[in-house]
Amino acid sequence: MSATLTRTGGRSDLDYETWLQRLVVAAGVLFLLVALLMPLLTMLVKSVQNGAGEFIGLSNFVDYFGNPALTRSILHSLNIATWTTLIVVSTAFVFAYALTRSGMVAKKGFRLLSMLPLFAPSLLPALSMIYLFGNQGILKDWLPVDSIYGPVGIVMGLSFWAFPHALMILITAFSNSDARLYEAAKSMKTPPWRVFLTVTLPSVRYGLINTIFVIFTLTITDFGVAKVIGGQYNVLATDIYKQVVGQQNFQMGAVVSVILLLPALISFVVERRVQRHQSAQLSSRAVPMQPQKSPLRDGLLALFCTLTCGFLLLVIGMAVYASFITFWPYNMDLSLNNYRFDMMDGGGWASYFNSLQMSAWTAVIGTTVVFLVAYMSEKIKPMPTARKLLQLLAMLPMAVPGIVLGLAYIFFFNHPQNPLNGIYGTMTILVLNTLVHFYTVCHLTAVTSLKQIDGEFEAVSASLKVPFYTTLRRVTLPLALPSVLDISVYLFVNAMTTVSAVVFLYSAETTLASVAVMHMDEAGDIAPAAAMAVLLMMTSLVAKGLHWLISHQILQRTQRWRQR
Amino acid sequence: MSNSTPYLQIQHLCKSFGSFTALDDISLEIKEGEFICFLGPSGCGKTTLLRAIAGLEQQEEGRIVQAGRDVSTLPPQKRDFGIVFQSYALFPNLTVSENIAYGLTNVKMPRRERQQRVDALLEQIHLPDIGDKFPGQLSGGQQQRVALARALATEPGLLLLDEPLSALDARVRLHLRNEICTLQRKLGITTIMVTHDQDEALTMADRIVVMDHGRIAQVGTPEEIYQHPATEFVARFVGSMNLLPAEVLDRRHLMLGSKEVQVPMILPVCDQGTLGFRPESARLQAAPFGLNRDDNLVFQTRLEQVHFMGAFVRLEMMLDQELPPLHVDMPLEQMHSQQPAVGEWLWLSVPREALKFYPAEQSSSGTLGARDMGAGMRMDVAAMQVAGA
Repeated sequence: MSATLTRTGGRSDLDYETWLQRLVVAAGVLFLLVALLMPLLTMLVKSVQNGAGEFIGLSNFVDYFGNPALTRSILHSLNIATWTTLIVVSTAFVFAYALTRSGMVAKKGFRLLSMLPLFAPSLLPALSMIYLFGNQGILKDWLPVDSIYGPVGIVMGLSFWAFPHALMILITAFSNSDARLYEAAKSMKTPPWRVFLTVTLPSVRYGLINTIFVIFTLTITDFGVAKVIGGQYNVLATDIYKQVVGQQNFQMGAVVSVILLLPALISFVVERRVQRHQSAQLSSRAVPMQPQKSPLRDGLLALFCTLTCGFLLLVIGMAVYASFITFWPYNMDLSLNNYRFDMMDGGGWASYFNSLQMSAWTAVIGTTVVFLVAYMSEKIKPMPTARKLLQLLAMLPMAVPGIVLGLAYIFFFNHPQNPLNGIYGTMTILVLNTLVHFYTVCHLTAVTSLKQIDGEFEAVSASLKVPFYTTLRRVTLPLALPSVLDISVYLFVNAMTTVSAVVFLYSAETTLASVAVMHMDEAGDIAPAAAMAVLLMMTSLVAKGLHWLISHQILQRTQRWRQR
Repeated sequence: MSNSTPYLQIQHLCKSFGSFTALDDISLEIKEGEFICFLGPSGCGKTTLLRAIAGLEQQEEGRIVQAGRDVSTLPPQKRDFGIVFQSYALFPNLTVSENIAYGLTNVKMPRRERQQRVDALLEQIHLPDIGDKFPGQLSGGQQQRVALARALATEPGLLLLDEPLSALDARVRLHLRNEICTLQRKLGITTIMVTHDQDEALTMADRIVVMDHGRIAQVGTPEEIYQHPATEFVARFVGSMNLLPAEVLDRRHLMLGSKEVQVPMILPVCDQGTLGFRPESARLQAAPFGLNRDDNLVFQTRLEQVHFMGAFVRLEMMLDQELPPLHVDMPLEQMHSQQPAVGEWLWLSVPREALKFYPAEQSSSGTLGARDMGAGMRMDVAAMQVAGA
């Protein structure tokens, strides 16, 4: 045996499989660089340039802070976000507690109803508010303030829209219970309030903090509700729109965007920190808790849930009802007049079909891209640094408000020297923008399901000389099919209902239904706007229904192995 | 080692994860058809070594030569091995037959022939009728046997087993041990198994590689490892061993706690060390008659506790307050005839062959001395030489 020491510096015999993997990883990184990071950087650059494109340092920011009309919006935004977060998180906390820890009846029904706002465009609750509490609203006298157009309207509309987001996180947090802790507390004769403070609250602590930050970010960056019902009450997101569309002042738009990015980025960082703690919280040996019945508590909680769902149904019902009224409030006959969109602003029925087309493309292309990128970042070995970068970039869209991303796309893709300039004003840029806007949640869904798949499958395949893409097709994809379907329906629904990111990017040929809602409202056609919003919600619900059918019918056939 | 060319040669392998050294200059040769166990506590580098052989981890330095071919930098799919993991890693959405045939699909083979091969393998693992079931419908032991069949389906030259039995119940584990051994002997396939279970290693392996902190502590047959552990670590890890910290007075005398004892061997030149012997090698008697101190270590101990262990009893003996208690295993019959009482002082004797002395690592002169005395011998038996000199 010759003991010659050989130094090997990395793999020299790269085969084509490894090359293919590298290629896909590189493509993924390139995609996120071009579609996310570079537009954002372009926007940052714009904020320190003047109209002619010359570098002027921070003077745009100096102008901004010297203008009280603009800086007031910061306080407005903070005000709205704080109130909404307070209302939504406390309501959702009790609601989630009722659904997971009480012996309340009709939990499934409450849960289904509470998810309805997810399918509505954020403009819908705002339009409902006009019909409920507006100048000719049916419940106008109930309103404690003078006008619904302002902070009260925004907070109410946003509360409706943000509620299911908070509820989903809190339900997950409450579900991670360990019955043994409660038994131990009971055996030591601990009073219920102390059990709540010492066992229940600590176990949902991280979920609660997480919810607060998610809701705060969602509401501080929202555009749709404030646009419709904000009146003279300006917030950061509407300021961006006004600067860009109203005054064509792109530099100031960039400045406001940078300011709006800050709270989002901060809460994003905090949220990631919290998330890291949460994972290790529950031991695998925990015994899930079976909720006990307690008539008085359950009754009170059921009453609370009924009232909450009642509010949600009232908002949706009002929009649906108003959309069928011939001419509010003078001719209250029911008709389909408001659904003749071709008579109105905003592109008519064509915009609805554009929206369908855009959503379908986003769902199909998006799911493919998201799944491939998640697969590459989770399951393969080459290029560890590039894969780290991929993971980091995939998390970033969560922190970027839609309206900021939209503006960043103008700056980047509308630049005459950009070779991708050609996609500006086409369906492609809408699909790209929407995909990036909702990327993070999809990525996390895909990663979570991939993490549950045995990490040694790739090693086994390699030992059996089966290429990785065969295993991806034959094993990994079938195993992850439920979450792939989840991602596609999530993308479809959000693409249908989003306004903020695409509001800067549509062209005359690619008008979108959600933007049409906004334009009809701007033109004073509130009823048709409500009609379109209802149509969007129905379409999303149909998509969700189809998703449900597919998950239950097709999956049952192809996933025979899941049954024991 | 010159009688046959080794099937697998590992030369100076190094690998670290950040500041953690997983493999520290590992060299090893494995003969064709051998059953090798990598044994060691978690974090000792045994799994990393296995994965480096498979190409699943890339070493920073060193060479791996398999069947005369340098595979050091080849990706796993270009190497020749089958692998079985602790988690089974069966594809849950494919049937047992499809799992086993997974690697056969890209070998151009007629469908009939492939099915025959799958059936033969199922026969071999004694599960002939489960081809149409899904992995989720099988027990853990059955799943692991299917994983074994899948790894063997492509007839690899090397079988790698990564803690294959660790996830199974004790009873199934014993059964599968035999089955794997029988199959391995029948096929004559070179096999490497990673385990942290010393019993598994001792019963299954032709040779054991004991690893510690990324280094090889000892290589040897199960008997060599058990009888002549080369280092204190091996002694501690394989089987149970009484290990007493000792101060060296001169070449024949040790301080154990506050007691001076004469040892029946020449001690290496050092200050500190550890004296060791296995619980079953010690004898107890009421009086020191017939004990030759030139051949035996002899001292008086007090019986503290008796643990019933089934076939034997384990007696806990106290030599000195400062020292950990000593264990002595005594067959049940002897226990009945001798009937030692708790609190009684007994004479404990250990024959010279069963005594080990490990010089403390920090005193380099001691280790050198040991090497000097064992000059010309293999390193791994040097300590034994010291003990038996």
